[in-house]
Amino acid sequence: MEMFSETDGDVVVVVVLADELDADNAKRFKSKMADIIGNNRKFVLDMGQVRFVDSSGCGALLSALRQISAAGGDLKLANVQKSVQSMFELVRLHRIVEMFDTREAAVKSFG
Amino acid sequence: MNAVRGKILIADDDPTVRIVLTKLFEKSGFEVIAAQNGKEAVERLTSDILAVILDLDMPEMNGIGCLRYIQQHMEDISPIMLTANEDISNAVEAMRNGAFDYITKPFNPLKLRALVDKAIATDAQARRLHQVEAELAHAREHEIEMAARIQQTLLMGAPPRDFKGLEIASATIPSHKVDGDFYDFIAVDSKRLDVIVGDVMGKGIASALMGAATKSYFMHVIHELGCAACHINPYPEADAIVSGVHAAMIHQMEALETFVTLCYARFDMASSQMRFVDCGHMRTIHYRCQTGNCTLLEGVNMPLGFPETVPFTLHTESFGLGDLFFFYSDGLTEAMTTEGQLFGEDRLTALIPQYAAIPPDQIIHRIWKDIVAFSGSETFRDDFTCVVVKITPSLLMPSGSSEKHGEFSMKFSSDLSELSRIRHFVRDACIAVFPQLLNEDRISMIELAVTEVVTNIIRHAYGGVSDKPIEISIGFENNALMIEFLDQGKSFDPDRAPPPQFDGSREGGFGLYIISHIADDVVYEKRQNNTNRTRLKIYPGHGPDSAPDV
Repeated sequence: MEMFSETDGDVVVVVVLADELDADNAKRFKSKMADIIGNNRKFVLDMGQVRFVDSSGCGALLSALRQISAAGGDLKLANVQKSVQSMFELVRLHRIVEMFDTREAAVKSFG
Repeated sequence: MNAVRGKILIADDDPTVRIVLTKLFEKSGFEVIAAQNGKEAVERLTSDILAVILDLDMPEMNGIGCLRYIQQHMEDISPIMLTANEDISNAVEAMRNGAFDYITKPFNPLKLRALVDKAIATDAQARRLHQVEAELAHAREHEIEMAARIQQTLLMGAPPRDFKGLEIASATIPSHKVDGDFYDFIAVDSKRLDVIVGDVMGKGIASALMGAATKSYFMHVIHELGCAACHINPYPEADAIVSGVHAAMIHQMEALETFVTLCYARFDMASSQMRFVDCGHMRTIHYRCQTGNCTLLEGVNMPLGFPETVPFTLHTESFGLGDLFFFYSDGLTEAMTTEGQLFGEDRLTALIPQYAAIPPDQIIHRIWKDIVAFSGSETFRDDFTCVVVKITPSLLMPSGSSEKHGEFSMKFSSDLSELSRIRHFVRDACIAVFPQLLNEDRISMIELAVTEVVTNIIRHAYGGVSDKPIEISIGFENNALMIEFLDQGKSFDPDRAPPPQFDGSREGGFGLYIISHIADDVVYEKRQNNTNRTRLKIYPGHGPDSAPDV
């Protein structure tokens, strides 16, 4: 599970370098995210490369979101592919997490 | 004595009359059989007797009784009755019962002889008439038999059995009269199939021959056009073919005062289109699997044989998997009840969606049974001819899988790292089974449902143990995609799984929810030899259900 993170002001931008986020790599995603979260509060997850997410992947995203929220921060998604968006809508994730067409827009939304 | 002209039977209880009559007719060249009463007359009656003279008043069996017997057994003999002056009413009764005439005693021998000659001539004529009628009926039967044989052998082409993506059935049941119904199938290449259905106006051998001629003209024109155009276009379009046949046949059809209705349809699997030229034929029924509705396909062209037909208009109809095309002759819609009520296009069209899921040959059988039930007769006024073309999965093989009974099947091990490979297999098989109908979004959803099922099997049925078998089969059944998973782990009770929380408060619990919302039907079952089977049924036309409002 390759992930890459950089900061844009006080926002941490995490780029997922995988095509799929499923039961096979969700655990690795979760632990990597936990490392990245640390004491940061504002996160943008760039999903541009991900074309498939299953319920385990969703669970991993929810887990990261809960961790960040508990510390008073927020997680936003950017570049979500259409097929993944459909999956998020199916489990109503789009109502809990804000999504943006571009990484820049997501970063900007933190104000 | 003159040469015998034939036998004559006389019956009278008066011996003097018998002698007089015998002498009279022997002199005229007849062999005379003289009976003393009706009973004896009946006993001595033979088929070679030309004329009968009966006294009305006789013992044992009287003239009327004898007359009735003769009428029943020898319909071409009309006896002449002898009567005494006083019983003229009996003579009239005899005339009603088929006597040729009557003559009162004492009779004039010349008059009687003339009467007998006339009766013989009239009877002979009636016999000839009956014979001609019988010959005519026989000839007609022979013609019908010939026409029916022409129809079965020359007019009806055999549908291809192994055309990928199409399942075809056809049937014709000749009526007593034999119409010139015909159909044929031409595989242009592995992706295109032409279906021709037609009906020649009129009945009997003439229309059967015309149908055969039309069919051969199609072959001729296709060959010529194909050769002429081979540099530019390897195969002529339907409108060009129909135009060519029309040009070649118009003069003959005008001379014979006949015309042909037809539909020339080309099924193009590469573009999922049916392009057709309709020339006044019965409207083809197109059943759409996705909507469950029927469209009636009608062209604007006049039948072949009408001078003002050119140019022929080509129509295009798109189709999808599970769709069905029903071509038929007027024998179906014009079948009627004894009260004269027609079966009609509406009734026929209403039947198609009901039978769309069963194999084409059974569709024809069911419709035939329905029409028989409606009309109350197994024989129709017109030929019953129909062709069913059903769009079925074209089974191409994804690499690494095996195909059995029209299914793709592949074995995987119970390891989460297999998920990606499983999704590839599912994607390839879906595209192979449903080449046109599944869009990218739908395939992604199916991948998702399969991932959830397999993840559950690995985590729960096998408790996370890898190297256990999971077999996945993908096939097509009753217009639906069937995905079957077999595993040997613990069986699963979906009722014990907790419902998902949509507020983000819990990570898990979405798998089953996702599966049930993508698949139209999910069945979990424990089978013999400790195998669990999970079956997903997915109709390609549907989208996933959206999440409920909370």
